[in-house]
Amino acid sequence: MTHRIAKKRGEWINRDKPLTFEYEGQMVQGYEGDTISSALWANGIKVLGRSFKYHRARGILSFANHDVNALMTDGEDTNIRADVWPVADNSKLQAVNTKGGVYKDKNKFIDHLSPFLPVGFYYKTFYKPKKMFPFWENKIRKAAGLGMVNFNYPRITKPKLHAFCDVLVVGAGASGLSAALAAAAEGLKVILVDENRHAGGSLSYDYAGDQSATDTLNSLISAVEADSNIRLITDAYAGGYYSDHLVPIVGKGGITKVRAKTVIVATGVFEQPPVFRYNDLPGVMLGSAAQRLVHRYAVKPFEKGIIVTANDHGYRTALDLVSVGVEVVAVIDMRRDGAPQELSQKVKDKGIPVHKGSCIYEAVPAKDKLSIREVVVCPYDETTAEADTGLSVRLKCDGIAMSAGWAPAAALLYQAGTKMVYSYDIEQFVPEILPEGVFAAGKVNGIFNLKSRLQDGRRAAAEAINYLGKAVEVEAVVQPAIARHSHPYPIVNHPKGKNFVDFDEDIQVKDFINAAKEGFDNIELMKRFTTVGMGPSQGKHSNMNAIRILARIRQLPVEKVGSTTARPFFHPTPIGHLGGRGFHPHRYTAMHQWHVENGGEMMEAGIWMRPAYYVPVGSRLTASEAVQQESGAVREKVGMIDGSTLGKIEVFGPDAGIFLERFYTGKFADQKVGGSRIAMLLDEAGVMVDDGVAVRMAQDQFYVSTNSSNAATVYREMQRNVQLWKMQVTLVNLTGAMAAMTVAGPSSRTLVAALTDIDVSAPAMPDGAFRTGKVAGIDARVMRVSFVADLAFEIHVPYQTGLHVWKALMEKGQSLGIRPFGTDAQRLLRLEMGHHLISHDTDGLTNPFEAHSESLVAMDKPFFIGQRSLKIIAKKQLNKKLTTFVLDKGFNSELPKECNLVIDSANNITGRVTSISYSRHLDRYIGFAFVPPEQSTAGARFQIRTDSGAMITATACKAPFFHLLENRGE
Amino acid sequence: MQDAVLTSPVAFAQKVRKPVLGQINGMQAALSFGGVNVEAQNSRILGICDVSCLDRFGLKGPKAAEWLQTSGMKLPATANSWVLQDSGSLLMRLGNTEFLLEDSLENDLARMFSNKALDGGGIHKVIRSDAAFIVSGERTAALFSEVCAIDLDNGMLGDNRLVMTVIAGVSATIIKQTLKGQPVYRIWCDGTFGPYLWKTLLGIMEEHGGGPVGFNFYYTLN
Repeated sequence: MTHRIAKKRGEWINRDKPLTFEYEGQMVQGYEGDTISSALWANGIKVLGRSFKYHRARGILSFANHDVNALMTDGEDTNIRADVWPVADNSKLQAVNTKGGVYKDKNKFIDHLSPFLPVGFYYKTFYKPKKMFPFWENKIRKAAGLGMVNFNYPRITKPKLHAFCDVLVVGAGASGLSAALAAAAEGLKVILVDENRHAGGSLSYDYAGDQSATDTLNSLISAVEADSNIRLITDAYAGGYYSDHLVPIVGKGGITKVRAKTVIVATGVFEQPPVFRYNDLPGVMLGSAAQRLVHRYAVKPFEKGIIVTANDHGYRTALDLVSVGVEVVAVIDMRRDGAPQELSQKVKDKGIPVHKGSCIYEAVPAKDKLSIREVVVCPYDETTAEADTGLSVRLKCDGIAMSAGWAPAAALLYQAGTKMVYSYDIEQFVPEILPEGVFAAGKVNGIFNLKSRLQDGRRAAAEAINYLGKAVEVEAVVQPAIARHSHPYPIVNHPKGKNFVDFDEDIQVKDFINAAKEGFDNIELMKRFTTVGMGPSQGKHSNMNAIRILARIRQLPVEKVGSTTARPFFHPTPIGHLGGRGFHPHRYTAMHQWHVENGGEMMEAGIWMRPAYYVPVGSRLTASEAVQQESGAVREKVGMIDGSTLGKIEVFGPDAGIFLERFYTGKFADQKVGGSRIAMLLDEAGVMVDDGVAVRMAQDQFYVSTNSSNAATVYREMQRNVQLWKMQVTLVNLTGAMAAMTVAGPSSRTLVAALTDIDVSAPAMPDGAFRTGKVAGIDARVMRVSFVADLAFEIHVPYQTGLHVWKALMEKGQSLGIRPFGTDAQRLLRLEMGHHLISHDTDGLTNPFEAHSESLVAMDKPFFIGQRSLKIIAKKQLNKKLTTFVLDKGFNSELPKECNLVIDSANNITGRVTSISYSRHLDRYIGFAFVPPEQSTAGARFQIRTDSGAMITATACKAPFFHLLENRGE
Repeated sequence: MQDAVLTSPVAFAQKVRKPVLGQINGMQAALSFGGVNVEAQNSRILGICDVSCLDRFGLKGPKAAEWLQTSGMKLPATANSWVLQDSGSLLMRLGNTEFLLEDSLENDLARMFSNKALDGGGIHKVIRSDAAFIVSGERTAALFSEVCAIDLDNGMLGDNRLVMTVIAGVSATIIKQTLKGQPVYRIWCDGTFGPYLWKTLLGIMEEHGGGPVGFNFYYTLN
């Protein structure tokens, strides 16, 4: 392990547990606690990936899960973030996005073509000739992307959990720890979350050569761990902010949705790179990355390195590196004035030369372009961003640590609606106006000094505590006056380019300039044209520099350029996490088990499970044969369908009748007890939304049915209108509480009569009549209906008794030739009867006049929902009508389908088929279609265009269709 | 034994586990799913028991509270709360004017009320076909953190409070009780959702080392 240094205080690795894994065919040793990247780097392996576009070799950049230089695959999973993913013993890893391995990637030639592949190249080049686009699209799609999706990835249902707290603190650095402790001390329940494996933030790596800050960290963490009010979640990030302080915490095992009463955002800052030629070579990394390697994983980032900095942090990095034996060749400070004397002197005392007002003009790669050989250092003009190449010097090195400033990790703040302002004091966006219940602390709030950050955490906690109704003193935060933390323009122009701004997408400075020249000079347009910030890093290391470049191009202040929208999830989140274990409820009728055991082909009908048809055990019926046989049983003998899915609502109270009159289109106030009427519901626009049957059980009690899919909607509308109209009505939704079955067919009366004490004879129980009594010994509600057959009985019983009654009817019906029938046969049977289905034969615009339902509308009533619209509609000419139709006898051509269009002689679309089916009983194809009104009268002929374009002639006819039988063909 | 007239809404979902069946209140119910020790362990870790067979009586209407009071019932003072009657029956107030009474095995108030002709005059019987469950165990918090988006662990169910919420996508009523000295959650939902909810909750419970518990574990047959 060539770069592993001696055991360090606070290191995150367990040297007692060595691990071995394979990377690109090479065996590598690491320790438990190592990340893949740290273990590789410790072994001197520095080519961890290839860039997205130009396939340039890449090593560690941020080493903080904020960049995508090091993405791996283990053969099963892909895009594994090696910087943070723990090493697993015996794993086999390869870099993604290579052809032939990371070292000998066959696509690396693309780098040589880069002058011909500027941003926008694809948009401009491959769209013509048009016929060639599919060819190029195929090529580009294959070339694009990072890891390959494994379609055989095991399905792991990751739970999506909920958690609750008074205060959610995002970020467990100094300010976050301090905030959590202060809130918990007031008895508040705190959840403290951090994306790193251990809490501490920069307290665990940024020491400037003096590790005494570790004591502060240890004492904070000990206090947090000892506090039962604090739940510390590490290795998980807050992926977004949603209304009412809902924050999804994304961990390795899944997502926890935290509902907090307040949120303290102490998310810190992302270090920003200076931009110079070849700033992407393996060995060139951020200063904080170098510090993390040293202090968390005891790995030297390089042996002989250069620090290039545009703030004081580079000096701190230099001191950390030199403390573990790295030879720091020089500190190159892009600022003319350099660092404060005290800090600068500390560095010089270590024998490190400091070059103020200088820059790295370019890093010089080794011959194989897999590492760095030396740097070219030049005097730097901060105003023009130009290097004076006439005074260049070359310095040998094997690595560069770079620091140019910081960008706030403010995605959550933006999503919460925070107004940010650009502070020229620190050259950083900071919160100006925070939304209610959201607080910011620490570096994201522009506070960098450690003591001040601890204070700021307590200050934010105090504000959160007070927001929750307590009254505690809010501590003032004292900040020492220091130099700004970020450089306003850490860019070094270079005529040959390759000075990368966005490492995800290989975007160089010139790409921005070209984009602006082409008119994409707004930050949102520039983002989309150049794709800056659109890679997996989501601009964490590029957006700030992009904004600075655009501001300079347009000669605008930074705050005028603004920033792009930060949408959740701000960090890439596995699709499997988002999918998680889903809850998709189904409803089961009381007779479900019987259906399954008797060959029912169960299907989802909305939320319900229903039998579409039955294939009895031992039979080899096709679906079509089963449906025709079931329909035949209803026409010739008796059939029974499980109708439990019907909506069933009881309407009680002295105003029940008046309520239904206002709610439905028909009249109910004068309805007799024991009778039923069709109840059609419109919306305010006069559109048909539901139809059912309203039974009057008593003077002040109705029992109303709705379509299966509409029960909840109708019930909700009823509840709403009871309130609006201030009526004395009580509603009970019995949809699930009652099982229902319809016994239909010529023998249905015989069957029902055999099991009930109700007189079901024709005179005693005419069509539409309703009676209560016993069926199979159970209290039942029985209704004469005619939806699927002229003679049918709908029987409603309590849910728990449904199976008992169903079985009794089935058993008794055997001698009568009973067949259960499913929803497919039901659709055919109602079609034969000429009954349309709302929402199937009608659409979101159909009014009753278009669907032959005028008889159900009592326009002379003072009011009903939709009446006002119908009055307007009634004055206008209809342009379509729903009609029943039949295809010619003996039809054997291509069958039209539902939604095939009705076409007139001028080839105009005039309607469409809404239902069509073959009826064996009639030996004809019958259906419903919307046609022009003049074609809706019986005998009118119209044309239907099939999928293949064939024109089929149909004839409008009256319903029900049974006259076709009587006339033997018209 | 004569076939039961009533079937638990959850019956077919339980069938695959081959429970020992028996009739409770005329309903075929799962009396046990295995040895007493296994059920005790399930109950201790994370267990679910189908108690849909307990008799229930629903009452709704502007005079519902008055009628119940006249009938000698102790009323929950506010909506979304419950009170245990001296007889052992559980009376839940689902709204200002809506109540649900559930008998224990030893009494038959609900059945008695159900057999009365009551409709009219501001009170209306509500036909109930609930799927009813007892959920117990030390890992209930982990279960609810996955299936429920509200904080049931934060005193929300204390002081005889009742919560109507969504459990695994299903509207449900939930309270916290003590049964046989064990704190348990009681859950009621529309019976048609019962099989789904049973399967869903049980699936998660088994991941936590829990499992099904039969009716006999909580209620002793006379």
